[in-house]
Amino acid sequence: MTTTRLPQDRPGLDASPQTSPDAPPGRVGSAWTLVARREVVVKLTDRSFLIGTVFTLLLITGFMGYSAWDAARTTTYTVAATADARTMADRLAEKAPGIDDGVAVEVRPVEDASAARGLVTSGDVDAWLARDGDGWVLTTDSEQKTALTRVTQDVVRQESLRQRAEELGTTVDRLEAGSTVTTRLLTGDAQKADLAQGVAFAFAFLFYVATLTFGITLANSVVEEKQSRIVEIIATSIPVRQLLVGKIVGNSLLAIAQMVLYAGVGLAGLSLTPYSSLVAGVSGPVVWFLVFFVAGFVGLAALWAVAGALASRTEEVQSTATPLTMLVLAVFFGALFVDGTVKVALSYLPPFSAVLMPTRLLEGTAQWWEAVLALGLLLAAAAVVVTLAERLYRRSLLQTGGRLSMRQAWSTPE
Amino acid sequence: MLEIRELTRRFGDVTAVDGVSFDVRDGILTGFVGGNGAGKTTTMRMVMGVLAVDAGEVRWQGRTVTAADQRRFGYMPEERGLYPKQRVLDQLVYLAQLKGMAAETARRAALEHLERFGLAERAGDQLQKLSLGNQQRVQVVAALLHDPAALVLDEPFSGLDPTAVDSMADLLRERAATGVPVLFSSHQLDLVEKLCDRLVILSRGRVVAAGDADELRSRGPVRYRLTLDRDAGWVRDLGGIHVVDVDGRTALVEVIDDGAEQHVLREATARGTVRDFTPVRPALADIYREVAA
Repeated sequence: MTTTRLPQDRPGLDASPQTSPDAPPGRVGSAWTLVARREVVVKLTDRSFLIGTVFTLLLITGFMGYSAWDAARTTTYTVAATADARTMADRLAEKAPGIDDGVAVEVRPVEDASAARGLVTSGDVDAWLARDGDGWVLTTDSEQKTALTRVTQDVVRQESLRQRAEELGTTVDRLEAGSTVTTRLLTGDAQKADLAQGVAFAFAFLFYVATLTFGITLANSVVEEKQSRIVEIIATSIPVRQLLVGKIVGNSLLAIAQMVLYAGVGLAGLSLTPYSSLVAGVSGPVVWFLVFFVAGFVGLAALWAVAGALASRTEEVQSTATPLTMLVLAVFFGALFVDGTVKVALSYLPPFSAVLMPTRLLEGTAQWWEAVLALGLLLAAAAVVVTLAERLYRRSLLQTGGRLSMRQAWSTPE
Repeated sequence: MLEIRELTRRFGDVTAVDGVSFDVRDGILTGFVGGNGAGKTTTMRMVMGVLAVDAGEVRWQGRTVTAADQRRFGYMPEERGLYPKQRVLDQLVYLAQLKGMAAETARRAALEHLERFGLAERAGDQLQKLSLGNQQRVQVVAALLHDPAALVLDEPFSGLDPTAVDSMADLLRERAATGVPVLFSSHQLDLVEKLCDRLVILSRGRVVAAGDADELRSRGPVRYRLTLDRDAGWVRDLGGIHVVDVDGRTALVEVIDDGAEQHVLREATARGTVRDFTPVRPALADIYREVAA
């Protein structure tokens, strides 16, 4: 973590209060912990933050619950059949659950076609299966029943195939011999690739949401302090660096705690669904994602603090933060759409690496040393960004004359 | 003692503070007076180290001030506002902790001060729920809480009602009496005159006058009020004086040449009865207008 790179005993910006002979017995070195604690406490007692978190948790559990229920339920279709279609309809009822465990079929014998049509129209049956020349017709009222249609097609195809084979004096197995196609991946395996895609999307999304929401929160809290001039009181109490570090640490802790909470509830929910077998496969990569998340988030958080410091009023944050919003969006879309060599290259480039390298690890396309290298680069970048951001933050924080550009902030005297 | 020596600050082409020098002595209230844009706030921000100094220096106890010294000062910035949504007591304790106080000590001291301003029962309220005057009292408490070695207060009286002005004045006097140098700015001259032991008048970034109130007054123009039995219009014909005002039998004259007032008195007695002839002590406001013009 980058925060550990800013030792507690490092002197302040231009002075070293703790080395002064008559400094009070206070702990300037740990001032950032006070700042971080305040950031956390204020947020945890903020009603809208708590409501937002609970609401998101409800959404996650609700979605999980729905998926579980949806996967477990079986829809029973009533299919009308005249005497000549009875055999096929019974075969359908018998084989349907084996093809799709969400589909069950009941057969309703009917006198003739018009009776069947009447039942479909009135909604008493879901469909009407009838022979039509060489083939079969599945008639429904005003919408197609996709699952039923698929099952019916399968059953009818198998049944017809069996009959033709019998006529030819052979078997279905012999007819189908040598026709199977299985898939094989040179790297990773199929199930893992699907899983990787899903998990990568989930984390790219979480990273996007967390950096954006906590970033804006951070920028706003910076400009709030600047606007009310309380920052002048704070800046005469502790070095500005300590204030910046405290704010980054506090907000990072909150963001990570929220991520862990969401991911934990998500995984717990997943274990209650029929997909529970995937939990073990996902839990490992989650740790990688969290490590990269921390490194990526800290660097971005420092930039958000700068965006806040460049503004002089809350309304200006939106414009000073625009480049940052774009960057966060780029990371998100990068995670979704890049592929091949570009993906490999970007998986080393901060801040894209924060999402792309763990994704590649999950896909099994990256070696452990690649992850370590990317993490090292990400941490180094975060450290550089924090250092540069500190200068920008320090120089713009106490400027009161309206909005500053990055260039002005950089070159302005303190 | 806080010494300000040749302090200069430029913003682009504008020199906001231009070679300002004065002392803020221990145990004394020093009033910092000047119109809008005179450079008071800029000077105070430099004293606190919030703003960098282009030239000159701030000295504390005979040596250049350090960030550690400034950390022990109590400061109240010009625009008010702590954290609007945080509870009063919580943020006072937080700010005191940043100054190095232990949480428990800070809590006790904060409650004591709030009690004094009659705000003890509001300690658990969000700051924004308090009236503006009360918010300002909380702000003052924030500046005083850590037992500061010096106090730098930018417009501490603005926006306060008369009762609050009195309790604030008592508080400042009390702090000064413990030997702490106190510098505060104000544009309420009557208040400064009543309260301050020393004044520093700033105009367009320069100190135009500094000293105790009597000293400053003696630097002002010497005026006499003359009341006669009959019309006093004839004083206009005399030399060596400037006639400020004539109203029937009363005239207000300003002495230009030394001893000219004796000439006026001789003329007056020669012309009839003199009812009154008194030197008029100039109000600080007059001196301020004079030097800041």
